Amino acid sequence: MTEPVLEIRGLTKRFRGLVALDHVDFTVPEGTICGLIGPNGAGKSTMFNLVTGFLPPSEGEIRFRGTPVTGWSPQQAGRSGVARAFQIARPFPGLTVRQNVRIGALFGRSGPRDVEAATDTALALLGIEDLADRPAEGLTVGHLRRLEVARALAARPVLLLADEPCAGLNPAETDAMIAALRRIRDGGVTIWLVEHDMRAVMGLCDRILVISAGRAIAEGTPGEVAANPAVIAAYLGSEEQEAHGA
Amino acid sequence: MTTRILATLVFLAVLAAAPAFVPPFEVRVLSLFCFWGALSLAWNILGGFAGYWSFGHTVFVGVGAFVPGVIVAKLFDGGGAELMPLLVLVGGLVSAAFAGIIAWPLLRLRGIYFAIAMLGVAQVTGELSAAIEWIGGGVGLSLPDAVPAALAPEAFFHYIFVGLLALTIGAAAWVRGARFGQGLLAIREDEDTARMLAVPTEGYKIAALVLSAFLTGLLGATYGFSLGYITTDSVFRTDFSLNMIVHALLGGIGTIAGPLLGAAVMVVLTQVVLGEMLNLHLFATGALVVAMVLLAPQGFLGLWRRKPRAQREPGP
Amino acid sequence: MIPLLQTLLDGLVLGGVYAFAAVGFSLIFGVLGVVNLTHGVFVVLGAYAALLLHEVVGLDPILGLPLVMAALFALGYLYQRTLIAAAVERASLVASLLVTFGVALMARNLLQIVASPDVRSIATAYSFAGLSLGPLRIDLVRAAGLLTSLVLLFGLALLLNRTAFGRAIRATAQQPVGAALSGVNVRHVHGLTFGLGGAFAGASGAVIGMMLPFTPSSEAAWTLNAFVVVTLGGVGSPQGALLGGLLLGVIATLTAQYVGPAFQNAAMFLVLVLMLLLRPQGLLGHAFAASR
Repeated sequence: MTEPVLEIRGLTKRFRGLVALDHVDFTVPEGTICGLIGPNGAGKSTMFNLVTGFLPPSEGEIRFRGTPVTGWSPQQAGRSGVARAFQIARPFPGLTVRQNVRIGALFGRSGPRDVEAATDTALALLGIEDLADRPAEGLTVGHLRRLEVARALAARPVLLLADEPCAGLNPAETDAMIAALRRIRDGGVTIWLVEHDMRAVMGLCDRILVISAGRAIAEGTPGEVAANPAVIAAYLGSEEQEAHGA
Repeated sequence: MTTRILATLVFLAVLAAAPAFVPPFEVRVLSLFCFWGALSLAWNILGGFAGYWSFGHTVFVGVGAFVPGVIVAKLFDGGGAELMPLLVLVGGLVSAAFAGIIAWPLLRLRGIYFAIAMLGVAQVTGELSAAIEWIGGGVGLSLPDAVPAALAPEAFFHYIFVGLLALTIGAAAWVRGARFGQGLLAIREDEDTARMLAVPTEGYKIAALVLSAFLTGLLGATYGFSLGYITTDSVFRTDFSLNMIVHALLGGIGTIAGPLLGAAVMVVLTQVVLGEMLNLHLFATGALVVAMVLLAPQGFLGLWRRKPRAQREPGP
Repeated sequence: MIPLLQTLLDGLVLGGVYAFAAVGFSLIFGVLGVVNLTHGVFVVLGAYAALLLHEVVGLDPILGLPLVMAALFALGYLYQRTLIAAAVERASLVASLLVTFGVALMARNLLQIVASPDVRSIATAYSFAGLSLGPLRIDLVRAAGLLTSLVLLFGLALLLNRTAFGRAIRATAQQPVGAALSGVNVRHVHGLTFGLGGAFAGASGAVIGMMLPFTPSSEAAWTLNAFVVVTLGGVGSPQGALLGGLLLGVIATLTAQYVGPAFQNAAMFLVLVLMLLLRPQGLLGHAFAASR
C-alpha cells in the first residue's frame, strides 16, 4: 500500500447555518480511480471546491501526498498537481483546442519545459488531435468535455478531479471517455470523479464514497456500495423526490 | 516567424529613413503614427491580451510627461537638456510605479468597473496635476530643447518615436509569445478557469498593467519634450484614452498588427483628410468609434479573417 | 461647531442635486444594463437649454423645466432606439460603453463649436438672495434647486412604484423575456426609460446651471459623478441615488472645506474605489437584482 494521494479528515463546510458537508472522511490511494456519488445536492461539488481551494473549509483537514494543504488557493492546488475538469466545460472560447490545452501544460507541473510534448500527449489521449486547430467555441458537448479533461491532463497532474466527465455524452462517447480515463490512470494519474452514469462509475472505480445531504453514508468497492441498503435508500428516496417534482 | 521579424524590421527601417526623403509635415505625420501606434499597442498589452480595458490610459501619458517637467523645473531650473534620455526613462519608470500602486485595488475590479475606475484615475490625476501648485500643470511646465544642432526638430523626435515604436512592438511580441502572454490570454478568456490552471492571475495582471504603463510613460515623456511646453490639458487628454482603444478596435484587438493598422487609418483620416478642420478632430474620433462598433466590431483584421473569432471583451 | 454645521448643510444641499443629476444614469444602468457615458452630456445640454431659455425668452430655469425635460426626453428616446439599441444588439453591452463614449466626445466637440468653450452660468434675479436658518445660511438658488430636486425625485419614485408604466419598467428590468411575453413592448420601454433618464439629467442640468458654472467639458465630470453616486447608493432606484448623492455631497464639501477645493474629486473617487472593493453592489444594492 503506497502513500495516499489525498486524505480528507472530518471535512465540514457550512454556508450560513446550512451544512453542506458534515465531517466527511475519505482517502484516495495512489494510482486508483475513486468515485464520489450521491443524490443531487449531496455536497459533491462542494467537496471538489474545498479540495481545489475554491472554498475554504469550515472545519477538518485536507492532506495532499502527506502534506496538510487545508485552505490553499486554486493556484497552489494547480501548481502542486491537482487538476480539475469542470462539470460544465469551461474552455477558453476564443482560443483553439490546442491553445487551450497548451495553457494547461504551460502552467502545469512540468512548467514551461516539454509543453509541446505534454500538449500532444493530452490531445492524443483524449482523441482530439484532429480538432487541434478548431476554435473551442462551437465544439459539440462530447468534444468540449474531452477538451476539458485534456486541458486538465496537460498540466501533468498527480490527481485529477473530474466532475461528471460523462454527463451529456451518448453511449459511444461515454465508452470513449471511460477508456480515456483508464489510460490516464495507467499513465500514473490518480483520478477522483463525480459521476451520475452508474455504468461508468461501477466499471471504472476502485473505491467509491457515497454522500447524501452532506454526510458520508457508505464507502467501499463498487460491489459493496451497490449492496449497501443505506445507498439504495438514499437513491430511491431521491428518485422519489425527483418524481414529485422536488 | 522569421519572415515576420524581417518584415517588421524593414518596415521600421523605412519609417526611420523617412526624414531623409520626405518634407517636414509628412515626417510629423509619420511621427504621429509611431506615437499613436505605440500607445495603442502598449494599451493592448493589458486591454487586448488580458481583456482589462482601461478607459483612462492617458494618465500614464500625463504622468510620463509631467515627471520630467517637474524635475526640470525643480532641479535644473529649466535646463538639463542633455539629460533628456534619462528624464524620459524616469518618466516611464514613475509611470510604471504609479501603475503598480493603483494596480492592487483596481485590478480586483472587472469589466466595466475597471474601465470606469481607470477613467476616474485619469480624471482625478489630471485635476490634481492642475490644482496642486507645486506641480504647476495649470500654468504649464517647460521642457528644455534637447534637439542637437545637426538635426531638424521633427527628424530628431521622429527617430525617437520610431525607436519607441520598435521597443513597444518588441515588448508586445515578446509578451505574446511568452508564457506570460498565454497566461494573459487565459485571464481574458476566463479568469476563474485560469486560476484553476495555476495561472498566477494577480501577478500577471499587475505585470501587464505596469509594463503597459512603463511604455506609455516613455511615450508620454517623449511627447512632452516634443511639445516643449506642457499643461494638464495637453497631456491628460481624454481623447488619447479613447484613441488607444479605437486604434486597437479598428485594426483588431489583441493582435500586434491591429493597433498599428488602426493608428495608420486614424492618422490618415485626421491629419490628411480632416487636416484643415482641426476643431472637428474629437467629433471625427467619436464618430469613427460609433461607426466601428456598429459596422465592424471585430476590426479591420477581423473583416478579412475567414473564421472570425468572437470578440472577447471584459464581461460585465 | 457652526462652520461644520454650515459645511454639512451645504453638503446636503449639494448632495440632493447630485442625486438628482445621477438618478437618470442609475435608472438606465438598472433597467437596460447600459453604462451611459453620454449622461453628462444630457446634464450639460439641460444647462445650456435653460441658459438659452433664460437669455432669449427670459424664462426662469425652474419654470422652464418642463420644456427642457420634454426636449431631452425626446432626444433620449431617439438616441436609445437608434444608436444604443443597435450597439447592444450587434455587439454587447460593453460595446454600448464605447458607443456612448464616442457620442460624448462628438457632443462635447459640437457644443464647443456651437456654444463656445467658455465658462457659463445662469444668473437669475434671486441669485444673490439667501435664507437664514438660525446661524446657518442657505442661498435662495440652492434652496430652490434642492427643493426641485427632491420633488422630482419623489415624483420619479411614485412613477416607478405606483403606475402601470413604472410596473412595466420594473418588469422589463427584472425579466425582459417574461415582460415581453406578458405583452410589454420591451423596446419601447427601453426607449422610454432612456428618455426618462435623459429628461431627469436635463432637468438637473438646468438646476445645476443656476448653482455652478459649466462648460462643454463639464460633461465628463458629471458622468463620473453619476457613476460614483450610483456605486455608493445602489443601482436603479431614486432612493439609492438620493443616499449616494447626499453622501457624495457631504464628502465633497467636507473635503473642499478642510482639505482644499482641488481635492474634491480625488476624495470622491477614493470613496468610489473603496466602495467598489468593499461593497460593489452599493449601499442599497441593485433595485432590480432580485432575479438576476
